[in-house]
Order: sequence, then structure tokens, then C-alpha cells
Amino acid sequence: MERKWTRRQLLAGPASAVLWNGCNRTRPIVPAPVSIVRAPAYDQRVYETVRRLLAEHRLDVRGRRVLLKPNLVEFEPQSFINTNPLLVHAAYEAFRAMGAAQVTIAEGPGHRRNTMDLAEAAGYCGMVKGFEDVFTDLNLDDVTRVRPARQFSRLPKLYLPDTALRADLLVSMPKMKTHHWVGATLSMKNLFGVVPGGIYGWPKNVLHWAGINECIADLHAAFPRTFAIVDGIVGMEGNGPIQGVAKYAGVLVAGRDLRAVDATCCRIMRIDPLQIGYLQLSAGATAHLVERNIRQIGESIASTATPFRLIPEFQRARLEEI
Amino acid sequence: MPVWLFGMSIELLLSKQNRDGGWPYFRGGSWTEPTVYAVLALLSTGHEGAARRGIDWLATLQRPDGGWPPQAGVEESSWVTSLVALLPPRRVGPAAHGRAIGWLAGVRGEESTLLYRAREWLLGNRRQPEEAFPGWPWVPGTAAWVAPTAFAILALEKECRRGRAPALQARIDAGRRFLLLHMCHEGGWNHGSVRALGYESRPYPETTGLALAALRGVRSPQVELALAAGRRFLSECRSADAFNWLRLGLIAHNALPPGDEPLSKIERRSVPEASLDLVVGAALHGNDVFWEN
Repeated sequence: MERKWTRRQLLAGPASAVLWNGCNRTRPIVPAPVSIVRAPAYDQRVYETVRRLLAEHRLDVRGRRVLLKPNLVEFEPQSFINTNPLLVHAAYEAFRAMGAAQVTIAEGPGHRRNTMDLAEAAGYCGMVKGFEDVFTDLNLDDVTRVRPARQFSRLPKLYLPDTALRADLLVSMPKMKTHHWVGATLSMKNLFGVVPGGIYGWPKNVLHWAGINECIADLHAAFPRTFAIVDGIVGMEGNGPIQGVAKYAGVLVAGRDLRAVDATCCRIMRIDPLQIGYLQLSAGATAHLVERNIRQIGESIASTATPFRLIPEFQRARLEEI
Repeated sequence: MPVWLFGMSIELLLSKQNRDGGWPYFRGGSWTEPTVYAVLALLSTGHEGAARRGIDWLATLQRPDGGWPPQAGVEESSWVTSLVALLPPRRVGPAAHGRAIGWLAGVRGEESTLLYRAREWLLGNRRQPEEAFPGWPWVPGTAAWVAPTAFAILALEKECRRGRAPALQARIDAGRRFLLLHMCHEGGWNHGSVRALGYESRPYPETTGLALAALRGVRSPQVELALAAGRRFLSECRSADAFNWLRLGLIAHNALPPGDEPLSKIERRSVPEASLDLVVGAALHGNDVFWEN
């Protein structure tokens, strides 16, 4: 019997073939731009450096809500645990100058409940005029239940703070530090601070039980509109993120792709990013971490490389010669 | 407490009450924790009407398992159940209160559950000394920590003082041992991590005060060391939250230094901070809402 083809069937066949072919093809990765700029000290030059750095990335924040998320951990202003307030202020001023409708600062520390006191002790209140009016304690912000776009941990849902979810651009501003559980804490690990202690406690132990690396990857998937500026002027090596020792690196590292930024920081610290669990997870086949898929702007990794001392558990991640 | 500070705290609390009857931490939606503190503070100062509306809001939040969520819309019970259990049972309702106590009695840090211990045994992992006694977690299914353990002890201790309850007393005793095992080397407590990779961790003022409050009546060289740390912290305190918890902890051991005054230079920023001012003021006049029934 002769088969009669309908017009729909005739169209569907080739269309399916095109679709299948398209899906089957590995899309080339557009190299993610990452800036490495020298910043010798926490002084007035940082303001110009940050302005230049943001200009390089052509961020259009006009009329947008920008949220700066530093890393605030402990009441020790003389130590190098927290993101330096001068850098945060420089970013605050730069984004305002770029026409952002709103620039706010927010953090949800993992151990200490009195966040505003912590920010004050870390020098933020003295540095940013009207700090209390622009700061949100993410631990105690109103929350919304979220299912991350991709789930890596066994947590089917997360309650996340509305202030962070509403931001048009979430700027992760971590300290460049080694970390005794995950190897390195950078812009992606800094996202732990958006998880509300008011729901999960101090520490946010749910994330530990569900897998630290997996939860970092979940959070990365939950916040697609991000930018990173890593405080690598003075970082921390050894038993970070709290009990390590100061390590001068004299750099700021920035970019839109947090994976690429963190991979670059790792290479500067002489850590193999492919050995960092959360980077592996969130980068899928790790292609996003490969050096040729990251377009370095400014200084080279080789010229800024500063080996950060690693605890024995992470010696395997040490990058040897450049 | 100076009269002006007392009045400021009440005024702040009344102005911050949401239309639903609950309180936020700073601003925004109502949360369980600040609402309980505000209610305790207002009850201790005779502001019945606002307190009643707070309790009514809390009553709508109790979950089928007997616990309370930290905020409306959150689908899990958590450590804040201890706080609600501190409210007078006749105010919350005896049945609701009883189910809260039941929830607390059934919750323990995941590391001390039989299932976890069996798994660790099968994996050949040795039990850590600090896991010998069960404490309470922030949320079920995770490890026990200092603050939620101290809050649970305060709630269950208050319950035991209403009538004999050997099972609850056993949990309290174990919880206190948990606290003593999690004390920092130099005295006092942090969130619950005594050392990391061989490094001694430092204590925090706020958790030191809270743990001391939960160890009321316990006498030991360790407690003496913690009291010394508490007094040291008190003299250099930079946070209203920490300052008031230290005072409550020291009051519980009759160890508050003479001439203690609330520090006017410390800002009261949140509803819990303003509430604790009033709670401490009441405790100094013999009405400790964490202790008296």
C-alpha cells in the first residue's frame, strides 16, 4: 500500500534531523574573560584600579540593582580573614558611578550572629558612609524557597534571601584564601554567605551534611547573574579560612564567570583547579576550567603566581612549575 | 537598668510589631525567634496586649510534628521550638506546649543517632570524644551545636521544674555534658568547634553567656574557667546581643560583677537585642524569664 505523507510529517522529519544534529554537536566554549590586575596595597589607588577593571568587562548596570557580597567571618580587624572594606567601598563607588539604580552590601556570616557588629569591627561602618542603610544581614532577610537550576547536592530546595534573589547583579567579593575542607575559598565558596542562618543555623551545617562541594555548585546554579572581584591583595594561606596566616599576593582578580575567576585564582595560588571539587562539579566536563578557555586580561598568571601554602590534605592539588 | 533605656526598648518593640502580631529581626516579615523574645520581654514588663497578639501569631505556626519553623512558609521545624517552649504553657496552650516539648525530646544531633553511629562503626571510624553525649542541632538531620543545645536545655529545665520528668532530666544532663565537652581550651564557648586541624578555636562572648545560662547550678572547675572568660568578655564587649547574653549567663551563676550597668554606647539594632535588654532588666529584679515559670 502506498504511504501518503502529510505536509506535517514531511516538515517534521528534516526539522527533527536538524534538531538532533544541533543537540549532538559539542558547542565550542567562548573563552571567559578574567582580569588580573596588580594592587600593591589597600590604598587610594584601589579605587581607580576597580573602576578600570569594571570598565574592561563592559558591565552595563545602568538602572540595575547591584549587590556586593563580601566575606565577613570574624571580629579581628587586624587579621586578614575578612574582605578588606576599602575594596568593597571602591566597588560600591564604582558601580554607583556606572549608573546602578541601587548598590547595596550584604552578607550572612557562618559562625557569628551579630553581623552588624562584625561589620563594624571589620571597619565597614567607618569606610562606607551610611553603611547601616545600605547593608542587609542575609542571615535574617526574608526568604523564598528555590530549586536551583541544576542540583548537585541532595538538597531538593533551598530557602534563599530575597535581597540576593532580587539583585540584577550579585557581585561576589571574597578574600583569596586556602580552605581546610575544600582546598580554596574564592568567589563560588563565598556564596555560602547567602544561605540564611536564620533558617539553617550558625554554622549552616545543612550544607556540610549535604556535601560542601555539591552545595557550592548548587548555589552557583541558583545565581546566574553574577560577577566576581577577588581580594587577593593580602590573602590567607595554610589552615584557612580562619586560622591560616596572611599571604601577600598583590592582585585583584575579576570576571563574570565565577568558575573561570576561581580557576584563575587557583593558578595564581599555585593550586590545580581541576583538583577542587566544586569547580569540577560546576564546570561539568571541566572545559570551563582549562586555561585556553579563559581569556586573561591584564597581568599573566605567570607574572603574578604566588604559591599559597597548603595543608597536607591538599598537597595533591599543588601545581608545580608554570 | 536606666529608665530611659528601659523605655526606649519597649517603644522600639511596640513600634516594630507587624500587623500579623509577630516581629521581624529588623524589618520585614515576622520570624519566630524575635517574636518569642519580644513576647517574653513584654510579658515581663506587663504589656499584655501586644504580647497576646504575638502569641496568637506564633500559635498559627506550629507544625504537625509539634515543632516550630523559623518563619512562616518554611516547611521544617527547627531549634526555635526551644524558644516557644520557654513561653508559659497557659499562654501558648497546654497541648501545643506539650507537643513542643515532645518534639524537643525526640531531636538530637545526627552524629549521636544510632543509624549514624552504626554507619561510622561499619566504616571503621572511631567515635570522637565530643560525640559521647547528645546535644541539639539547629535543624534536624544535622550535627548538634552549642547554641541550640543551650536553648533546648533552658526550655527543658523550665519544663522539669513544673513536674518530675526523668527522661527530660536525662536529656538535660547529657546536653550539659555536651556543652562541657565543647568548651574552648581557654574557657567559654564558640559555635561548637573546639579545635580545627590541631588549632585551638577561640570562644565567643555571646555563646559563652548562653552556655553559662544553660549550665545554671552546675559547679566545676570548667564552669569557673568559663565564668572568668565571661567576666573578661563583659568588660570588652562590643555587641548588645553578646553583652546581654553574658549578663544572663553570669546572673545564672550569681557572678555578675557589682556595679554592672547596661552600656549606653552599644547600639540596640534588632528586636532580639532590644528584647534582651528588658529580659535582663527583669532578671536583675528577680524575674528571669529563662528560669522562672
